[in-house]
Amino acid sequence: MSPSPSRRRVLGLLASGLGWLASMPLARPAKAAVKNLLASAGLPPGYDPTKHQWLICMDADKCIGCGSCVDACKLENKVPQSSGYFRTWIERYIIKKPAPGSTALRGEAVVDSPNGGRRGFPPTLVPREEILKAFFVPKLCNLCEHSPCSQACPVGATFDTPDGVVLVDPTYCIGCGFCIQACPYGCRFMNPETHTAEKCTLCYHRITRGLRPACVEVCPTQARIFGDLKNPTEKDPLQEFIHKNKVFTLKPHLGTEPRVLYANIDKEVR
Amino acid sequence: MQSSRVPPQLVRLILLVLLILGTYAIARVNLTPKTFGQYGHYRGAALDEAAARQLVFAGTKACNECHDETFAKLAKDRHKNVGCETCHGPSRAHARNPDVTTQKLTGEFCVRCHVADPARPAAQKQIKLHEHFPSDSCIGCHVAHQPNQSK
Repeated sequence: MSPSPSRRRVLGLLASGLGWLASMPLARPAKAAVKNLLASAGLPPGYDPTKHQWLICMDADKCIGCGSCVDACKLENKVPQSSGYFRTWIERYIIKKPAPGSTALRGEAVVDSPNGGRRGFPPTLVPREEILKAFFVPKLCNLCEHSPCSQACPVGATFDTPDGVVLVDPTYCIGCGFCIQACPYGCRFMNPETHTAEKCTLCYHRITRGLRPACVEVCPTQARIFGDLKNPTEKDPLQEFIHKNKVFTLKPHLGTEPRVLYANIDKEVR
Repeated sequence: MQSSRVPPQLVRLILLVLLILGTYAIARVNLTPKTFGQYGHYRGAALDEAAARQLVFAGTKACNECHDETFAKLAKDRHKNVGCETCHGPSRAHARNPDVTTQKLTGEFCVRCHVADPARPAAQKQIKLHEHFPSDSCIGCHVAHQPNQSK
């Protein structure tokens, strides 16, 4: 058996530990200075997150399901290329006519999203005469006011920013996946390379520089409407959208208070 | 005199408690990130890190700086609200250095928006691929920047 550590040794260890802790205030600025030299700047100068409130809304009547947004999002945010990882995607809803003789108002809803709709949609297998109605719904993070993902995160790695975005801090994320289960809209995934949770950031690097999110930039029909609620422009498309349309949120019964508003969706949309 | 002195074991206990509390205080001050609590109960620097990503799409404004002639043409026709990068692809690299070319355009891009699908809004111009001149390329007849014109 080894002899128990002497009092001198224990005190020495304690003192060196305290010395290491006390030296940290010096080490941190040095580390930050090196980091600043290597990396490009973060928030652009003059950008104050408390002076903005960003929002994206969807007009399902305008979506043509071309998949440009899905493709652009993957490229802009370096989302893993393989199928199954999406920060935004498109769903095709096909509502069938009720079976002849039945008293149902409408038939089954056939929903598909092959590869997130990234390269458009193949012809549907539902014969045209059986279709009651059909439409596309673009999906992304619903930017909930009471976000279940932030509440589920055990380490506080997910949070709401003052400018209305729900972000993940990858240096805090431990990759437990609770937030992925907690999100009722299926908007999160585990990045297979970094093993941290990932989601739509509303292209935070773009909106802070006065650009629109990549999906909004490439949408050919303006089905995605983006704007700043705190700084409305003269003919603000977002204000116009909110005033002109009857809007819905997804799964309102869950009390998540999504900020993303949808116009012209139907009761089958979840 | 003897009875009023603080017992030595109590002194040791108080010192130990002070040492533990002191260590905790020093650890808390030093290990909490500097920007923690700047905006809320999280690291404020996480916002900087989220904003530090490289841009890939340049945005239509950047295209307009050089290609204003194409913009003038486009503004008169049905594709006026279609962003440049919807078809030409991510162009930030091209905007910074014109020698870098944008993605090659093929008929696949036309078809992505214009092939018939029951879920598409009726106002969208749609074709059935096997009926609408299947052997010809789109740009054989159509001008992409001015879709109302034909060659």
